[in-house]
Amino acid sequence: MMEKKAIVKSESGIHARPALSVVKEASKFKSEVLIVKDNNEYNAKSIVAIMCMAAIKNDELIIRTNGVDEAAAAVAMVKIIEEGLLK
Amino acid sequence: MFSFFKKNKEEKSMIFKSPVEGRCFDISEIPDEVFSSKMLGNGIGFESTDGVLYAPIDGEILQVFPTKHALILKSKEGIEILLHIGIDTVEMKGEGFEAFTEKGQQVKAGDKLLTFDNSLIKAKAKTNLSVLVITENDIIESVEFKLGTVDKNNEVIIIKLK
Repeated sequence: MMEKKAIVKSESGIHARPALSVVKEASKFKSEVLIVKDNNEYNAKSIVAIMCMAAIKNDELIIRTNGVDEAAAAVAMVKIIEEGLLK
Repeated sequence: MFSFFKKNKEEKSMIFKSPVEGRCFDISEIPDEVFSSKMLGNGIGFESTDGVLYAPIDGEILQVFPTKHALILKSKEGIEILLHIGIDTVEMKGEGFEAFTEKGQQVKAGDKLLTFDNSLIKAKAKTNLSVLVITENDIIESVEFKLGTVDKNNEVIIIKLK
């Protein structure tokens, strides 16, 4: 298992469109990809879960990956959340 | 041997009432590819005349976005829907929106969920055209839409469940 921190930097947080970007990125990996916010786990491959997380700017998230490509998945998820969501 | 039971099993379906007084239309008319191309799921577009969003089905509020422009509702059958008012309304940061429900609340079809200022949305966001998205779910057999001019008692979506 691998864990990495990510801070939401986009002005409008993770709403519908950014949630889709997060899910698309997570789905590229075989590993289980979870995002933890306020001690609640959200499946990063589920659009409903990520929209329900309703992360806003400056929220601190923990990316938790588990599987054969967990290291690459964790790095990619931090990158998409911290940089990919900025327009 | 199970076919006997299957044939006699009552057909399971879910009926959605209109989320607004106004009109419901094909989701492909929404000027945002995320919704119109059904990337998030199938559904309908809708436009309110009076700025009130009603619950289309009974269910639990899974989340109200902090900006109050969208919410997620889950039916007892497990169908999850996104109700999203306007396009690019997230940028309004809640201005002009009021929520009458919150995360975890049980609601009934017809309950008032949100109110919003249509003229402010038209002025500040891309459009006030809104969407109801039925997120993908293995228990859905088929979906039928009844579009056009509606009030909140009109049936607009019929989902047959497996």
